[in-house]
Amino acid sequence: MSSTLHRELRILDPKSVRVTAAYLDEVDVEINGELIQGVRPRKPFPYSHPEIVIFYKGNEEIGILKDYRMLDSESRGTLEKALRIVYFMPEIRKVLSIRWVQGRYEWRVVTDKGEEKFETWSRCVRVLPDGRLVVKDIYSRAYIVEHPEKLDAKSKALLTMMI
Amino acid sequence: MSSQSDNAITIYPAPEDLPPLVRGLLENGEEVIAIARTDLVGSDYGEELVVLTNRRVLAVAEGRETRAIPLAKITAASIRGYINSCVLVVDTDEGSRGFAVFTRARLEAFEKFVTLTNNMVIGGGQYRLMRQVLDRIKRVSVSRGGRAVLVRLLGLLRPVMLLLISSILVAVAIRLLNMLPPYLMKSLIDEVLLNKQADRLFYIIVGLLAVNLVNTGLGTINAYLNTKFNVAIANTLRSKIYSKLHELSLSHYDQFGSGGLWSRIMDDVGRIQWAMQASFRDLFINAATVAFIGFTLVTLNAQLTLIVLLPIPVSVTATTIYRRLSSRYYQRMWRRWSRIVSIISDTINAVILVRSYGKESSFKDSFERYQEEFEKAQMDVFKFEQQIWPASGLAFTASSLLVWWIGGNQVLQGAISLGTLTAFTSYMWMFYSPVFGLIDNIKNLQILSMSASRVFDILDLEPDVVVTPEARDVEIRGDIAFNNVWFTYDGIHYALRGVNVKIRAGERVGLVGPSGSGKTTLAKLLLRLYEPQLGSLTYDGIDVKEIKMDSLKRQVAIVLQNPVLLDATIAENISLGASNAEPEEIIYAAKLARAHDFIMRFPEAYDFEVGMQGSRLSGGERARVALAAALLKNPKVLILDEPTAALDALTEDEVTEELERLTRGKTTVIIAHRLSTLRFVDRIIVMDKGAAVEEGPHEELLKRDGLYKKLWEAQLKGLTRMSQAEAGELYAAQRA
Ligand SMILES: Nc1ncnc2c1ncn2[C@@H]1O[C@H](COP(=O)(O)OP(=O)(O)O)[C@@H](O)[C@H]1O
Ligand SMILES: [Mg+2]
Repeated sequence: MSSTLHRELRILDPKSVRVTAAYLDEVDVEINGELIQGVRPRKPFPYSHPEIVIFYKGNEEIGILKDYRMLDSESRGTLEKALRIVYFMPEIRKVLSIRWVQGRYEWRVVTDKGEEKFETWSRCVRVLPDGRLVVKDIYSRAYIVEHPEKLDAKSKALLTMMI
Repeated sequence: MSSQSDNAITIYPAPEDLPPLVRGLLENGEEVIAIARTDLVGSDYGEELVVLTNRRVLAVAEGRETRAIPLAKITAASIRGYINSCVLVVDTDEGSRGFAVFTRARLEAFEKFVTLTNNMVIGGGQYRLMRQVLDRIKRVSVSRGGRAVLVRLLGLLRPVMLLLISSILVAVAIRLLNMLPPYLMKSLIDEVLLNKQADRLFYIIVGLLAVNLVNTGLGTINAYLNTKFNVAIANTLRSKIYSKLHELSLSHYDQFGSGGLWSRIMDDVGRIQWAMQASFRDLFINAATVAFIGFTLVTLNAQLTLIVLLPIPVSVTATTIYRRLSSRYYQRMWRRWSRIVSIISDTINAVILVRSYGKESSFKDSFERYQEEFEKAQMDVFKFEQQIWPASGLAFTASSLLVWWIGGNQVLQGAISLGTLTAFTSYMWMFYSPVFGLIDNIKNLQILSMSASRVFDILDLEPDVVVTPEARDVEIRGDIAFNNVWFTYDGIHYALRGVNVKIRAGERVGLVGPSGSGKTTLAKLLLRLYEPQLGSLTYDGIDVKEIKMDSLKRQVAIVLQNPVLLDATIAENISLGASNAEPEEIIYAAKLARAHDFIMRFPEAYDFEVGMQGSRLSGGERARVALAAALLKNPKVLILDEPTAALDALTEDEVTEELERLTRGKTTVIIAHRLSTLRFVDRIIVMDKGAAVEEGPHEELLKRDGLYKKLWEAQLKGLTRMSQAEAGELYAAQRA
């Protein structure tokens, strides 16, 4: 069963995969020595299992890495460079204010990328099963709160009002 | 930093507005078509300018290497979207490559950029024309606001000005009259009761009665003027916009959308009507009242007046805080309520799922949790309101107690009379409501000017299908020619790119092509519902611009793809283009269109009212009524846009036969989705991406192995039980 599943899904052995170059959202991959260029990495479970990566060439699935962190460190670094672009998501570290302005909420926050302002509709916070929060703005851009419990009291109070 | 600025894309920037960074890169003769700004560089916030010129696509940023791809190498541009980030992708012969990154906030801007790039790659060279169109659209959409709009609005409302002024005067008179009773009470106390002047008691009582009577009378007049004024402004504005609707070009309808026009006529006019009263009219009334009462208070006792003013800032602050924070509490409560609604609805609608997976207890737990959370949100609303309103109420109570305390002492010391104090306290309570009213009035002025400017957006439009003065009546024979016609609805996407089509008088032509290829657009241009931005359309060699509109519309008839009917009787709908048609002519046209039989099935037959947009008829019935209307005009040129789209296959066959008979010898353009409808036409024109790409008779086109063959084969696949050969035979048989 398990081995057919592996074959059917084309689950890749991390030892046989090397990621040699990254260009924006694409990478070049070497699988068993064969070089494939312009491969797009996608995470099938970006929130719940961010370690799983599927490689695409065009619309074709090349294979699945069950945990890309098992790659050699150079490959992993290169892949992460592309993943950082594909899964660009500022992490909210502090909520400065949330104001109601003309039917929208105007948020001022501090993220790992600096201070930011964005707007959301009323229903904008999604609570992930593990307790993390995802805030979506009016352009449906996502901001993540990795550790809601570790936020300062004011940020927590402001966020609680939005859930 | 991520920002959501409107200047995420600049289309056709003026040379002097070019960022120096870009200007320095341009070659001789290179023109900038668009500059889009990214908000990401790699996986960090940052800005890069992505520039489309008539020669290249460039990515430029301060301190970074410039990337460039010549247009000649590009085959297409597109966007790949992820959760937050998007990648602009450029396809070249060597493959496709990501070119720039941005967040979803810039998606709309980059979608435009991609369209413009593809225009350049596929359309080539017509960008100057798009610039003109865009300039016109830009000119239209500058919304004004502020005082200038209000002045203009008043100008528009001049016919009702007299009403406005008299209604303000009457309302002020009422407020003034209301100020009399406390004053009379003062006399009553000070002079009559305390000084025991019994003879004046009668006069004061009569005075109070008189005030009341006059007040009642004025109240009625006021209500009358008010109603009259309200109705009058709305009517004045609505008829102004309504008559404008008929002058607008169809392109304006596209620009605002039917919803946009609708909301301007119905909602904005309603809002103006309301705001004229709630802000403009009441502003004068409240201001006058505040002035009068304020003056009276100061005259009665200047010192106490200061105390009266004290709670006003407190209350204004409380209201402001309430407005700012309350929505947050209420929204949270609604959000949590909707979770409860949604879990109940899930349970009821998906009960089989819940049961078969044994999820009952987990649903029950969630439900309990949602209930608790909802309860908490509800209690928070209560607590929040308890913090705000008592505070503000307390301020009023405190100030009134203070007035009694200080004023009471002054009465005891004989500094003021008892009557003065009673009058003062009465006036004091009359003072607050116009003050708060005034604050609201000023806020509402903003709504008034916003709605007014939206109305002016419409009133300021100028039709773009201009009537040329030298246009004349022309008897059309039916030779049609499109000469290199380019057309765009929105100034960004081409619906037609360089169409060259000739149709001879009496010829029957089929128009086919994938949806979105521009067939309907071509038909609309034939009736001059839109003006091509480049190229020309001629009838018998005469430019349509030189043919009078009504002359054209009398001789060219179109049956639209989704025909719209008026909310009128069937007879009225059929005789739309020939209002003095005889009843037997209407019946004849209906018979030709195979509509007569179903019409006679209605008890009211031809006098049956079809309802809003023809909603009481089926799609096929509507199509046939529309066809009858077109036939009644007995047009020289007949255009049918997918006439059989709304019909089932059986009726379709019937109608196709009928169409063949009807159109014999008449210049006819039939747009068809089902190619079998076209078995009788002389020639087929194939459209793709806004251009006529193939033409010829059916057999010839099949041999050519192009788009037509592909469309034909795709349709055959639908007819599963029929082999291709059989279908071909059938086709040949039907044609013979
Ligand atoms: N009123 C409109 N406003 C803006 N774009 C339009 C409008 N009507 C059609 N278009 C666009 O013009 C192109 C051609 O449309 P159309 O002529 O209706 O195609 P077809 O009839 O071949 O399906 C399409 O891309 C369509 O999206
Ligand atoms: Mg169409």
